[in-house]
Parts: sequence; C-alpha cells; structure tokens
Amino acid sequence: MILDAAAIATLYRSHGHVVLRRARTVLGSEADAREALQDIFTALVRNPDSVRSAGSIVGWLYQATTHHCLNQLRKARTGARVLELHVRPGMAESGGPRGEAAAEVRRLLALLPEDVAAAVVYHHLDGMTHAEVAELLGCSRRQVGYLLERAQGLWDRAEQTA
Amino acid sequence: MNLAATPLSWNACLSALRLDRWMMGELDATDAETVGSHVASCATCSTAVAGMRGVREEVRALPLPLALVRRPESRRRFATGAVAGLGLALAASLVLVLRAPPATERAKGPGLGLAMYVQHGAEVRRAGPGETVSPGDAVRFAVSTPAPAYVAVLSVDPAGRASVYFPQADRAAQVPAGSEVPLPLGTRLDATTGEERLLALFCASPVELEPIRRALERGHDGAPLPADCQGLRWSFVKR
Repeated sequence: MILDAAAIATLYRSHGHVVLRRARTVLGSEADAREALQDIFTALVRNPDSVRSAGSIVGWLYQATTHHCLNQLRKARTGARVLELHVRPGMAESGGPRGEAAAEVRRLLALLPEDVAAAVVYHHLDGMTHAEVAELLGCSRRQVGYLLERAQGLWDRAEQTA
Repeated sequence: MNLAATPLSWNACLSALRLDRWMMGELDATDAETVGSHVASCATCSTAVAGMRGVREEVRALPLPLALVRRPESRRRFATGAVAGLGLALAASLVLVLRAPPATERAKGPGLGLAMYVQHGAEVRRAGPGETVSPGDAVRFAVSTPAPAYVAVLSVDPAGRASVYFPQADRAAQVPAGSEVPLPLGTRLDATTGEERLLALFCASPVELEPIRRALERGHDGAPLPADCQGLRWSFVKR
C-alpha cells in the first residue's frame, strides 16, 4: 500500500469531510474543526502506518477525529478556554437554549473518561448502534451498554447539581 | 435531558458511520444496495447524506495542509500538464492510491479516478488494483473527473497485446464531470491468465489512441503521455 504525501493529499480531498463534519459537531467551533482537519492529516504524514493497518479508512478517521476532539475539549477545559469555545460565532448552535444545551454536552464530554466520552460521541452524536460502537472501541456490545449507562448517570447527576 | 435528545444528537435512521462508509464505497454490494435503497426513500437520511456531500465539497475547495503540498519527484513531472480545471479529489481515486502497488499508480492527476466493477456469476463487486478476477468475468469501468475530460481506457493483456477498452473509437471520448461516471461499454474477460495492465487517460483534447496503444504493446509502459493528458495506471490479475 502506498501512503506517501501525495496519497494522503488524495485521502484528504476524498475523506477529509468525515473529519471536518464530525469535528464541527464535537468541538462546536469552525476554527477548531479546521485545525483538527489539518492536524489529523498532518499527523498521518508523520505516521502513515497508523492507517495502513486499519481495516476501514472511514473507521480509522472516526477514531482519530474522536480522540483528537476529545483531547481538544479537555485542553480547552483545563486551559479555561471552554467559555470562549462555547460562544465562538459561526456555529448554528452557538446561541440560545439549543446552544447552551450543546455546550453542556461538550462540557460533559470534557469531564468524562475517554472511553465513556467516545462511546457518547459514537452512539449519540453519530447515531451508531452498540455493535458499531463496539467495533470502533474494540470492546463488547455489553461494555458499550455499560459505558453509555455510566455517561447518562453522570449527565443526570450534573443536571441535578446545576 | 436524555443524552439521546440533545441538540448534538444524530437524528437520521442510519448512523453517520454507515452512511459515510456507504458514500466512500466501503460497504459490500448487498449492504450498499440496502443503504442506497433506504436513503432514496427516507427524507431524513437523504438530508443527512446531502449534508455530508456538502461538507465534502467544502473540503475539496480548501487548500491542502502544508505538509501535504510537497510531492515526490517521480510524480511531479506528471502533475503539471493537467487537464484544465482538474483540481478536486474523488473517493474512487483514494481506493486506487491506497491499494495499488507502486508500479501501478503513476501519473495520476488530482481528482481523477478509475473504478472497475466485476460481475462474477451472479455477484457484482467493485475491484481494486491488483485484485484477482476470472476469465469470463464481465467488467465495466467508471471514471471520476472533476471537470469534463476526454477519456480512454487501454489495457495490455498478459500476452503483451494492447487494446482499447473504451471508447470503441480512434480517439478518446468526452466524459462529463462526476464521481464514478460509468463508461457505456462493458467487456468480458478472455481466457488469457496473468497480470493485465490498465491505463486510463484523462485528456484535454480527443487524443488519437492508436499511437498510445502501439507504444503500450511495444512494452513502453512508462512512455510519456500526450502533453495534455494525465494517466492512471493499475493492474489486475486474471486467474
């Protein structure tokens, strides 16, 4: 399999939308989503082996985007940028009750352990079945159910204390 | 609030992953047909797919990250004489780039793609470069080009005989811009076994094909292409 810069550029053109679309949803910021798109493909140039062994390019991009975006949310939180992130203009849900609810979900994602947060993203934001989530997380469907229950419990608790 | 009902929650029937895999040709033929039929009849899923396609066009219009701009020397000589307006990449070409062995992926311009569909018995599948097919299989090609181009598909069979798969004419035929535009002619593979090499040409003018066919038959597989053409080469194995 050839995966030099030219091949990755082709991959960027053909599959980059998978990254950008999902990064917009998870991060809620156009600027950060575009940065995620650039970062993920730039990292691929440095380490092409990571995708070379993947069974599905789309699946690999889902995993890479989720991991990258959850990291960004955590960094934003620890860097006290989270409020700025939530009100940055240009996103449909940046204002009003829907915007605040979306911001709440992102705050929760920033707080959750990575596997729980990833399960939430895959199941609720991408609409995946438990089987699809299990495939991307590399765990059982039962474990996915457990992760999602845990997330819902933390969400309920956060709502009660708010 | 339930996490399933937030403003960020997915609301189509099929997951984003399944729709993306369908769009990018990762599903097997049966599953792809199931998803295609559903999308055609479901307003919510077709809206989701339209949104995905919209973002795809956005990304194609974005500049490449700097790390991806530099190209290997061996490709650079082919990247300049482009068909006017060719600048977008399509999904089909990705499959070629990722799966083809080095000798089969040369001179491909941005956004150009060649796909081959193989009918073996009752089963139809999309074949990638280097894939094994059988004598008697029916094949049909589809090309991706972001701008109208004059297209031809030539082959060199395992015995070294070169022929023109498409078009059945002396010169390359115009194909409209599009992703995986099926070429009107299919062909059935003969009984010769071994590696068959393909050259898909995307040209700015209706180039004459006989000189190119002769060059291929003389074994000049790497001969320069006509000045206003870009080529996509790959191979499959008949066994």
